[in-house]
Amino acid sequence: MKFSGFRVFAEALKGHTGWRPLWRNPDPKPSYDYLIVGGGGHGLATAYYLAKTFGRSRIAVLEKGWLGSGNVGRNTTIIRSNYLLAGNEPFYEFSMKLWEGLEQELNFNAMVSQRGIINLFHTDAQRDAFRRRGNAMMLAGAGARLLGREELRAMVPFLNYDNARFPIKGGLMQARAGTARHDGVAWGYARGADSHGVDLIQNCEVTGFRLDRGKVRGVETSRGYIAADKVGVAVAGSSSRVMAMAGMRLPIESHVLQAFVTEGLKPTIPGVITFGAGHFYISQSDKGGLVFGGDIDGYNSYAQRGNLPVVEDVVEGGMALMPMIGRARLLRMWGGVVDMSMDGSPIIDRTQIEGLYLNGGWCYGGFKATPASGYAFAHLLATGASHETARAYRIERFARGHVVDERGAGAQPNLH
Amino acid sequence: MLITHPLLGLRDAQEFTYLGDARLIDRPAPSAPDAEAAFCDYVFLRDNPAGVHRELWYHEHGDRSWLVVTRDTVTHEVLGAELARNVALARTRCSK
Amino acid sequence: MSDLRPITALGAALPRLASFGALEIRENGGLALASMALRRGTVEPTPFGLALPGPGRWIAGQGVAALWTGLDQWMIEAEGRAELDFAAELKQLAPGCSVTEQTDGWVAFEIVSRAGTGPIDALLSKLVNVDLADFGPGCATRTGLEHMSCFVIRRSEAHIAVLGARSSAGSLWHALETAAKRLEER
Ligand SMILES: Cc1cc2nc3c(=O)[nH]c(=O)nc-3n(C[C@H](O)[C@H](O)[C@H](O)COP(=O)(O)OP(=O)(O)OC[C@H]3O[C@@H](n4cnc5c(N)ncnc54)[C@H](O)[C@@H]3O)c2cc1C
Repeated sequence: MKFSGFRVFAEALKGHTGWRPLWRNPDPKPSYDYLIVGGGGHGLATAYYLAKTFGRSRIAVLEKGWLGSGNVGRNTTIIRSNYLLAGNEPFYEFSMKLWEGLEQELNFNAMVSQRGIINLFHTDAQRDAFRRRGNAMMLAGAGARLLGREELRAMVPFLNYDNARFPIKGGLMQARAGTARHDGVAWGYARGADSHGVDLIQNCEVTGFRLDRGKVRGVETSRGYIAADKVGVAVAGSSSRVMAMAGMRLPIESHVLQAFVTEGLKPTIPGVITFGAGHFYISQSDKGGLVFGGDIDGYNSYAQRGNLPVVEDVVEGGMALMPMIGRARLLRMWGGVVDMSMDGSPIIDRTQIEGLYLNGGWCYGGFKATPASGYAFAHLLATGASHETARAYRIERFARGHVVDERGAGAQPNLH
Repeated sequence: MLITHPLLGLRDAQEFTYLGDARLIDRPAPSAPDAEAAFCDYVFLRDNPAGVHRELWYHEHGDRSWLVVTRDTVTHEVLGAELARNVALARTRCSK
Repeated sequence: MSDLRPITALGAALPRLASFGALEIRENGGLALASMALRRGTVEPTPFGLALPGPGRWIAGQGVAALWTGLDQWMIEAEGRAELDFAAELKQLAPGCSVTEQTDGWVAFEIVSRAGTGPIDALLSKLVNVDLADFGPGCATRTGLEHMSCFVIRRSEAHIAVLGARSSAGSLWHALETAAKRLEER
């Protein structure tokens, strides 16, 4: 089923009776060549590229709930490639390029909107650091612009430029960054994978691995045993729990991150604005809701809900940055469990168990990585080698001291 | 969350900062032959269970004590707290 | 010689004083402070005849008082002695203990109610997360007050003191004043 303007028109005349479900709902087969554990953005994208780009078959995605029930449907939808470090920036820029062609690639409206992101700075030292980051972005072809105070004020006049503690001196802008419809991304990849023969198996929780002489043979699930040659795990906040079933300890802590959305308002906020100093960032959805968030709650949690101190912290940040937000009524708030790694960067790698692969440690920022993460993981599963943009994400970097620590915070996950 | 401070009773978790897994108390011996590998595990690897977790909290807006708090990471229920110094002292006594 | 004139924590020549309904808030410029910690193996002293209080407690003597700040640690207060070397005096009375001058690190606000305990309780409920059922006279605690780490001391039913970092004296005054004003308007 192909989507097009003509199709919408034709269906309208037929009373919309011709639409079909976007994917099949198959039962698991006894064995596959490739099993992807986790039907979030990363798992679905992996299955899609594995089938479509790398031409593999006999692939299944095992999801314990429904497709997109995890963080892919809980995030604040920001996509960007504004990193500093050489291990990160080419990967995120690769992702950004995939975002730019995603809707054509998938024939699905993921509402990718390059409305720009602005990171605010408040001191001369921060301006210098942002200038350096902007240079790194330009070297990777991502584009960057350093905005002065007046230029910024013309774009976003409603900010509190004269806050006593954090007066706004300017911002670093990436015009190509923006937002995408988060669950649309999951659905698009799911539909694409399904149409290339991937079995998307829902309500199927992986409960154990069957290992034999250092090699994976298959997985135990709530729907029975499934054999496989290769198993790729992409379960976001559950990485530690799932890999523990294979006897692995990971450089990861699970934390809860909250997000908030207000009632719909007239268009006010042109792009994404981040106020790192005040633990606050915001954008406006196409429906008009102000979508915002801040820091993680800061302690190990699998609760998928946060606590009030961080709610206070986030709204205080909002009030400090743009006092007008005080008039907006909060509609919903929620939390998601994110896998915070020890250096704040992800892991896409094989494990010491033959045939078992891990994709995790995405912290609070893995949505933007969805296309590249899926592509790189599929590359690894299909060819056995890391994708050229993901070589820094090998797990042995911790033992070798080659951490990719964008924040410079050290092995303290709640500071990344 | 309210943390049951062993000396001060129920205290708002906002008064505390969080360090992580209480196993960070068990620093490996730097002179052991496998010290390099042991330190790598110590610094980077965590158990990260869903359920009961023993963890270090620092009473920053309080009496500046380190506590070992036992907490359920699924429900956020605080099950108990002890002074970390007592925990650490008990360990050294045991290992001697 | 340059003409050096001392200023208070709030930057004026004289301590600030203001009333909001039944509440009076007074910057206590004369309060001397010194911290005292036991060293391992030292016996607990009784400086100025004070029997040092246990966790969460404050005790007053003649012009001096002590509050528990942590295991084996106390803050000793002395009324009207900010200009003197109070820490040196305390050191004499606490042999073997670590004593550190604290006066200039802090600002102290005395808050007194002219209408009994009600307004004090109302103010505390607005500002700090302390269980008032268990915070009668003789209690003292450190806690967060608008993100600032403060000591709150219940000197009597109708009198509390808030000790905060001197560098945020203005913010602390603002917090206290705003809360007191809101209560007055109610
Ligand atoms: C509040 C919030 C805001 C965020 N904002 C942003 C943002 O603005 N920009 C950005 O780039 N990133 C953001 N993120 C991060 C981003 O959402 C995640 O990094 C990313 O979605 C993780 O990858 P995923 O989509 O595959 O995860 P998920 O969608 O969580 O997928 C993992 C799946 O694995 C399944 N699973 C777990 N255990 C098992 C098992 N045993 N068996 C089978 N299946 C299992 C889960 O049910 C889940 O569906 C945010 C996260 C949160 C929580």
